[in-house]
Amino acid sequence: MSPAEEGRSGAGANGAGAVRAGADGAGRTGVSGRAALNVSNLSVAYGNVVAVHDATFTVAEGDACAITGPNGNGKSSILMGVTGMVRRRGAVEIFGTPAPNGDVRWAARNGLTLVPERRQLYPELTAIDNILLGCYCWTRSIGKARKSAPFGRAIDLFPELKPHLKQLAGTLSGGQQQMVAIARGLASDPKILAVDEPCLGLAEAVARRVYDVLASIHEQGTTLIIVEEAPKRALTLCNRRVEVRNGVAGAA
Amino acid sequence: MKFGNLVIAGLVTGSIYAVFAVCVAVWYRVSNILNLAVGDFAMVGALGVDNLYRVKGLPLPVAIITTLAVVAVFAYAYDRVVLRIAQDGPRRMEGIVVTFFFTFALSFFIDGVAKMLFGTDVHAAPALWNGESLTWASLHFERAGLLVLACAIIIGGAFWVYIRYTLGGKALEACGENAVGARIAGIDTRRYRWLIFMGTAVIAAIFGIVESPITGYTYLSGATISLTGFLAAAYGGFRKPGRALVAGLFIGILEALLGGYVNAEYGDTILYALLAAAVLAWPRGLGFESAVSG
Repeated sequence: MSPAEEGRSGAGANGAGAVRAGADGAGRTGVSGRAALNVSNLSVAYGNVVAVHDATFTVAEGDACAITGPNGNGKSSILMGVTGMVRRRGAVEIFGTPAPNGDVRWAARNGLTLVPERRQLYPELTAIDNILLGCYCWTRSIGKARKSAPFGRAIDLFPELKPHLKQLAGTLSGGQQQMVAIARGLASDPKILAVDEPCLGLAEAVARRVYDVLASIHEQGTTLIIVEEAPKRALTLCNRRVEVRNGVAGAA
Repeated sequence: MKFGNLVIAGLVTGSIYAVFAVCVAVWYRVSNILNLAVGDFAMVGALGVDNLYRVKGLPLPVAIITTLAVVAVFAYAYDRVVLRIAQDGPRRMEGIVVTFFFTFALSFFIDGVAKMLFGTDVHAAPALWNGESLTWASLHFERAGLLVLACAIIIGGAFWVYIRYTLGGKALEACGENAVGARIAGIDTRRYRWLIFMGTAVIAAIFGIVESPITGYTYLSGATISLTGFLAAAYGGFRKPGRALVAGLFIGILEALLGGYVNAEYGDTILYALLAAAVLAWPRGLGFESAVSG
């Protein structure tokens, strides 16, 4: 059974849980036009439940790409599959090099880092240690990590975190935790930063601050992929959109 | 100088608690599994060396290296087979009770094999540093005791430095804190799990070899050793190896002082009453809360 067929049968069995995603691969492109991320026929399944079915899209270098769609339609699963957090079918290329399946470290070393939904910090480590661990994908030396440019940049981007860096991450507010999560992502020196629901559960003012930061990260040349349930805010920043909707191929 | 000698005796007992506490705490930090079998690895170390050296007549270094190699290979295989199915498979088993059961079963398994191989008598590995006890200003130092203390400080200190001052150590902590978050940062959580499981098994075996001349082991000693380690590890919230080390030493000294000054017969009873009272008084400060709430 081909991946496509299996996906379809799974989709039939699971109804609303299944998704087909698609987008305008050759549509509007970013600044340079080189493909940063090339996803073709990506399928992700959890046991029998197919979460993503045959997603094909391209993100050009310099793009800010929004992946939008209703809750439970597989937006996060696309990012999980692309970064290798879960096993996938289909091909993913990062800057033209095929990414090995299920290898998060490879993806991070080659420029694609995920800032996950619900932040996934280490609550009993200090904020600064959380951020330092972002460097783990490219170094084992704590001294090198502390002195590195990506780490410095991650710290400098959030002046409001400075007084809280020695605090345990679990004791920070939701907004501060989100900033730590983004800073951890930046410490890995990504060329593509994939941010999953950055404003989940945040107050409006904090959410705006998070988007300001994302905008400045984008301005500094990092390609962004932002997953948002509500496209309104994301589209203030993003020049491209991949719509993920149950069974609908969504170039938007 | 009764006080000084009691403290020395307490430090030696305490370092036994401390080392096993550190082994339990470090692996719990990585995997969120309590390793009940840690004491059994110590027992295998001691009795294995004794068996190979005394019964089979191998030279001592060969006996030690062979024993440690067997322990390492066994621990690796256990992780690859049992823990891999339990934790990495499609039906991941979680929860302290289930994972506790796995190491509990391992402990019984090792005991059973040890009974067949080594018999039921009390044995000990040969003393590594022979000679009369050293005396300095009316303080007496048993040579074996000094070795035990040195081992405890080196092992505990090494782990403490590793976790506190290296990126690898922080990655180790991250594995237990949030496995998903650790993988996102590119940390190989499975590799850490088997490395530390194997590492603590070998450390326990080394410590069993060094320590057994003092107390002597039978095939059932493992469970007792594990439990003493648990006690001290609990004071580190099962998570802080440095604190577990200090707690182990402290409990040892307290035990010796209570036995020496208050009442030799009821020293242990008073000790455990005091420890229980301390936990009730400062659950958070002693790290118990984090052990329970995760």
